[in-house]
Amino acid sequence: MPKLDRFPLTRIVSTPALLDGIQTSTTAIVMRTAPDELFWLGSPAAPVINDPHAIIEHDTSFVGTWLSTQAATAWVSANCEWQLPTTRPVFAQGEVAGLPVKLWIEPRRMLVLVQQPFAADLGERLQ
Amino acid sequence: MTESSQPLKLIIDGQPVPFVKGDSVLVAMLRNQHHPTGGGCLCLGGDCPHCLATIDGVAYVRTCQVPARPGCVVACTHHAHAVPALPQTHHVEPTTNARHQHADVVVIGQGKSGLAAAELARTAGQTVVTLDAAQGQDVIGIYPGAQVVARTTQGMLIVHVRQEIIVATGAAELHPVALGNSLAGLMTARAAQQLQAAGLSLGRIVVINDANRLVRFEGESNVTAVVVRDDQGLEQHVGCDTAVIDLGTTPRNMLHRMAAGLPGVRVSVVGDAATNSDVPNCPAHGLVCHCSQVGVADLQSVWDRGFHELELVKRASLAGTGTCQGGVCLPYVRSFLANKGGTLQPAFTARPLARPITMGEVAAGGHHHVTLRTPLDGVHRAAHAHMERAGGWWRPWNYGDWQAEYWAVREAVSIMDVSTLGKMLISGPDALTLLDRLYPTKVSTIKTGMSRYVLLLDEKGYVLDDGLISKISDTRYTLTFTSGGATTAELWVRDWAESWGLNVRILNQTMSLGAINVTGPLAKELLARAGLEKPPEFLSHVEAHVAGIPCRIFRLSFTGELSYELHHAAVNAPVLWRTLLDLGKSLNIRPHGLEALLKLRLEKGHIIVGQDTDFDSTPRRIHHEWAVKLDKPDFVGKHAVLRTNKVSLDKILCGLSMEGPPPIEGANLTVDGNYAGYVTSATWSPILGKTVMLAWLKLSNDLAPDRVMIDGRPAQRTETPFYDKEGARAKA
Repeated sequence: MPKLDRFPLTRIVSTPALLDGIQTSTTAIVMRTAPDELFWLGSPAAPVINDPHAIIEHDTSFVGTWLSTQAATAWVSANCEWQLPTTRPVFAQGEVAGLPVKLWIEPRRMLVLVQQPFAADLGERLQ
Repeated sequence: MTESSQPLKLIIDGQPVPFVKGDSVLVAMLRNQHHPTGGGCLCLGGDCPHCLATIDGVAYVRTCQVPARPGCVVACTHHAHAVPALPQTHHVEPTTNARHQHADVVVIGQGKSGLAAAELARTAGQTVVTLDAAQGQDVIGIYPGAQVVARTTQGMLIVHVRQEIIVATGAAELHPVALGNSLAGLMTARAAQQLQAAGLSLGRIVVINDANRLVRFEGESNVTAVVVRDDQGLEQHVGCDTAVIDLGTTPRNMLHRMAAGLPGVRVSVVGDAATNSDVPNCPAHGLVCHCSQVGVADLQSVWDRGFHELELVKRASLAGTGTCQGGVCLPYVRSFLANKGGTLQPAFTARPLARPITMGEVAAGGHHHVTLRTPLDGVHRAAHAHMERAGGWWRPWNYGDWQAEYWAVREAVSIMDVSTLGKMLISGPDALTLLDRLYPTKVSTIKTGMSRYVLLLDEKGYVLDDGLISKISDTRYTLTFTSGGATTAELWVRDWAESWGLNVRILNQTMSLGAINVTGPLAKELLARAGLEKPPEFLSHVEAHVAGIPCRIFRLSFTGELSYELHHAAVNAPVLWRTLLDLGKSLNIRPHGLEALLKLRLEKGHIIVGQDTDFDSTPRRIHHEWAVKLDKPDFVGKHAVLRTNKVSLDKILCGLSMEGPPPIEGANLTVDGNYAGYVTSATWSPILGKTVMLAWLKLSNDLAPDRVMIDGRPAQRTETPFYDKEGARAKA
């Protein structure tokens, strides 16, 4: 069973227009989880957003693991009913192995993230 | 003799028998004078039920489709089409893998037509998946989606089709329907060719190519003669060892019928499967459906009873409901009905499954529904908590001694993991507008730093959920919901915010925040030990550090005692939990589980939405009119509440108490022997020394009876709360 690590990230909830304007980084992973929400993972830190009503939350509830392309392909093929996007890097989310997962797919690896309440089941279902 | 020159052997009914490389299990069996079912016309094409056997513990396997391999264990459990016995011992189904593939086009069948269709699609730039039973890819169902599901040698394959399903499954050979058609030694022409090619001797062969001349087959168990009618109408006996049936073909179109009409995908049929061949002549005698043992006489009986439509005849006779799903009998049943009624009826509906599959294959790729785990799940299990599923979460039911847990709350201090509560943050210039329209309370009157218990109503004015609104600032609020209702509530809030076009930001914090309830008369003392010098007043909240951990602390009470709810980053929950337990040792602290909590809250008469409320519970019926401000301009459900308030009350949720042990939840109430309602929650109250309950009680002439009977015992209507009516302890 792959070891699951905690992936602290910043959740930014704001207007779609303001989130559209955020400059992404070449080093941080930026996942647009919804029109009004964005996950910022890694450094540099998430940029300041010009929205006094924005919700900026440092979220430590996500856990996951990096899978090699080979392992990711096998896992997705066995557990995912929907087709993953083909561009790289790319963010995708949906049900895989019966769990609500967020995927960050790079050319040579894939990050699988779930929130902590699903962690034990993800561990079992990655076997 | 070297190992490689050892004869290949499989095991048939306990006996090792040799086979030749390339044999299917059926060919190997026939090579050794074994007939899997004892008789019937063999097709070797996967269409008929005559070669079924149990292979390696799996019943209903078509032996003609399975390559023989050394050590393969075959049991003739379907002899004479008997139903194989269920496994007598504990049976663990081996895991079957599932794979998903996506394609523009799937082509089922790889004969000439299938190959051509696949090539054409590839040339057109489409991605193509081909499936061929002869290559071990047996399609067992086609589902909306569209999904084509096949059993393969590597497990179940689910092909998600974007554009087109092409069925190129060819044609099946017609089987004979005549007396004696269950004898061994009957086979179709293609089957005979395959067996001869495999080197099997078929002995004296008679070829039947005219069904009109066929009278019957004769023999004890194996065919020894075929009786045919000659040109003069006289019966002629022709001795034989093998009767080869060459009566033509019928399109193998079951999968086309199954797929036809599925939305979002084209379905086409090509090659022999697309032919519209004539049905055979109406049979006069013999077995029509071998799977269900339905003969011509049975069809006649069904007809005589008034079943004349094919779908009804199928259900009344069971013809076509067996393992081959009409592969053999359907042409003859249609022919029979055409002969009787004068009209050729279309083939009956084809639905998955096309082939019997194992439970492991059914479950392949499936996962059980997840029960969520709080950030303290590991802590509870390490403390040997008895865990139960509640509201979609694993929660501690007790830690071994519910009574001690109960009294810790009432007399000392206790903590409980309430991370399961729905938690939401609302921010934005329209936050107040959203909440004021959404909730029946006057949200505008909640002051910064204060909280209020609220009901959430649907458009019909029925109680959807309950929880707490807490004001952080003029443009920022937190909401809580019940554990089981959090997901629905989030959709509800988001949907209304979007429908009204309001400028708000919404964050569901249910899983990112842990929550611990510190409750009991010594709760304040415990928090002081944890460094909280100024805990919030009743129904207010503050941000502060507890044991060094940043928390938002809410002061409310579900247990009836002094209580503080500590919301914090989920990652900090285990440290906070352990620290509180350490600091509270000299206060006789112990954690409590749901078992104690359900008693504590019921003593206070607090409802649990979903348990004590029903689908039609209005605020008035549950005595929560105080939570609904009808002088507000509007809120979701207001008009329904106004309307239902004009109707006389027919039932209420009320408190009951009785001596003795509690009845089961759901127990009926009766008055003078007549049904009067039912119990929604019941418990023995340790502090009151009696049973207390919440129950739905029918009113008669706007009056609720004071006394009811429950399971033959009297119960008294009692005002809630049962305990600490003034709420002094909670507000202390």
